Amino acid sequence: MAQRSRGDDPEAEIRTMQMRDVKVCLLGDSGVGKSSIVMRFVSNTYKPSLESTIGASFMNKSLVVDGMGYRFQIWDTAGQEKYRALAPMYYRGAAAAVIVYDTTREVTYRAVKSWVNELRSYGPPKIVIAIAGNKCDLEDLREVNRKDAEDYARSISAIFCETSAVTAINVEDLFMAVARQLPLEDFSDGDRRNGSTVNLRSSPEQRKKQCCSGGKNSPSSSSTSRPQSSRQS
Amino acid sequence: MGDTQFHFRIRQCPGRKPTVKAHNAYNRDCPITLQSESAYYYGFVYFRQTKDRTIRRGYFQKSVVLVTKLPFVALFSQLVSIIAPEYFDNGEPSLEAACHDIDQWPDPIPGDTLNLPIMGTVIQVRVPCRSDRLVGGVQAKSQERHTIPAHSVLPTLHEVDIYSAFHSILPHVQLLWELVLIGEPVVVMAASPSVTCNCVQALINMITPLKYCNDFRPYFTIHDSEFKEFTTRTQAPPPVILGVTNPFFAKTLQHWPHIIRIGEMGGLGTSPKPLNKLKKAASLKTLDSKPGVYTQYKSFLAKDKMILKRLMKGSQSKRPVEAQNAILRRHFLELTQSFMIPLERYMASLMPLQRNISPHKGAPLLRQFDPEEFLQTVEHSGPQLTSGIKGDWEALYRRFFRSPNFEGWYYQRQREVNQKLQVLHMEALSNSNLVEWIRDKEEVEIVDLILRIKEKLKFAINNHTVVQQESVMKLQKHLENIVSALPDDLQTVIKT
Repeated sequence: MAQRSRGDDPEAEIRTMQMRDVKVCLLGDSGVGKSSIVMRFVSNTYKPSLESTIGASFMNKSLVVDGMGYRFQIWDTAGQEKYRALAPMYYRGAAAAVIVYDTTREVTYRAVKSWVNELRSYGPPKIVIAIAGNKCDLEDLREVNRKDAEDYARSISAIFCETSAVTAINVEDLFMAVARQLPLEDFSDGDRRNGSTVNLRSSPEQRKKQCCSGGKNSPSSSSTSRPQSSRQS
Repeated sequence: MGDTQFHFRIRQCPGRKPTVKAHNAYNRDCPITLQSESAYYYGFVYFRQTKDRTIRRGYFQKSVVLVTKLPFVALFSQLVSIIAPEYFDNGEPSLEAACHDIDQWPDPIPGDTLNLPIMGTVIQVRVPCRSDRLVGGVQAKSQERHTIPAHSVLPTLHEVDIYSAFHSILPHVQLLWELVLIGEPVVVMAASPSVTCNCVQALINMITPLKYCNDFRPYFTIHDSEFKEFTTRTQAPPPVILGVTNPFFAKTLQHWPHIIRIGEMGGLGTSPKPLNKLKKAASLKTLDSKPGVYTQYKSFLAKDKMILKRLMKGSQSKRPVEAQNAILRRHFLELTQSFMIPLERYMASLMPLQRNISPHKGAPLLRQFDPEEFLQTVEHSGPQLTSGIKGDWEALYRRFFRSPNFEGWYYQRQREVNQKLQVLHMEALSNSNLVEWIRDKEEVEIVDLILRIKEKLKFAINNHTVVQQESVMKLQKHLENIVSALPDDLQTVIKT
């Protein structure tokens, strides 16, 4: 967990703070656990047998990362083939896409690459891509090598992490990593809302090494202090 | 050819349940004009027609129709324009996806701002509430923080752009307002259903906050089941507003007293050619006739030239259509309110006085509406107090009294007031010391009281939303005490 900047009541903090809206879509084959990841993230619950999603489900979740408020508008798409053609509706205008595969089913990992290609060709130009290998709690059944996936993610500058919706491991971190990787320029949500106000992030923050490695932005070395001002805007 | 959007309105089969139960709470707090339809359905249509040689008839022709009882014209038009193109491209799964999204939508609670996810985007729209201030902006509610700046913010749930709808017939809008107010039969003819349905909806909108109580059909065709009923020449034209495109109607409805012919819209921003002259209805022979208003109706009120000048000026100075629409809307809102305020005031004077509400008499009732008595008040405190428009207001009221619009308004007010009186009476009853009161009373009187209390409790069940729970508890307590004070044999009779 990243440290919450300050304030002992995160709920109250979220209520008063300026929020950035982030449209995120989850993509990936049927049964890899997209809905379970979203459920874990949004309501911190897990159900062993979810019905398969129809079209896509929509959910909201607010999160404070490094003193900044983010409101995720999550489109959890259906993995079934018959809904495949609808995907552009959900990644259209999205700030980020989380591509999920199942670490215990090699075939779902292969689908990741075709999603990446599709996003690169037809998705928004600056879309942040995250790749999540779900079901990492089932180590015995593993079919996808972690290192391979990680290398691939790095090669395309995508965020990578292995998650488990069952144990909750890395689920919130995944979304925090997404938030950190969003381009700074469209920070204040369009523009007008705050006029001339500048979003001052709380002083440069000490960041712990995250399980989620952001492709280009987070060096693979140990903990680094990364002043926000060094980001290009 | 290409894509066309419009909406229609049809009667529900008789014998079906009149309202959806889930709409009851909504209907109670929403503006009267936005209540869900009890006997009609709206259909919002997105129609695509393109050449396609692979199809036997040479054309791809399909519509997506959204059927609803809620008159959210702006929202549902927007909605179907999102859903339909996806359906044409990707087939049924996109309809499943859309329905799945709509399933997750929150109830339309009046006063709330709703975030409505639909196919990868979120529509944000506010549901108006009966207590909204009509003139001036709507104050944002404290629940603001629940709202997310969505991908598309819809400025209105239900309003259409009346300025654009009336663009080519602006000089006659006030006359049209009178026709709608008094419930005259009107037919709108144009080449496209999107034009007719905008115009019909704009006509209905013009008398807001008053509800238009006659039938209206934004797009009426020869296939509608009321075709015979509406076009018969053996009776006077029915008091409905129809939008039609089929040239056949030019002949069939030739005898109608008021015909609006809308031509193709010129580019927005160009000043409309004022078609000042009204034309005799009989001169309308074909649908090729010139745009204009064909009627022999003589307005009761003098034309307000100020508003027309303002709009002309705005149009010359390229004022945005939204602003023009807002000006025109506001004008009609004020005009309708000027017309209604004297009626509201008179209605209030029919209320019985608070001191006449006695627990030992029946609930007082509202006095009967007396048109003549009302018209006497118009002389000194009529619409002239709030509107600069001159004319024969009294005669306009007389016509209005004969219209369903008046009837609808009157019954609504009567219901509200009588309910209020019942509540006050119930409170008076629950607050009086009934046990003390029955001490020296005959059994007959006591039984009478018991029946009255029972009746009140029944009323409380049917109107649980407006009745204070405390009064109900007190009454129940009273009832128990009174019954237990009766002789045993009578008690058993009462309890059965």
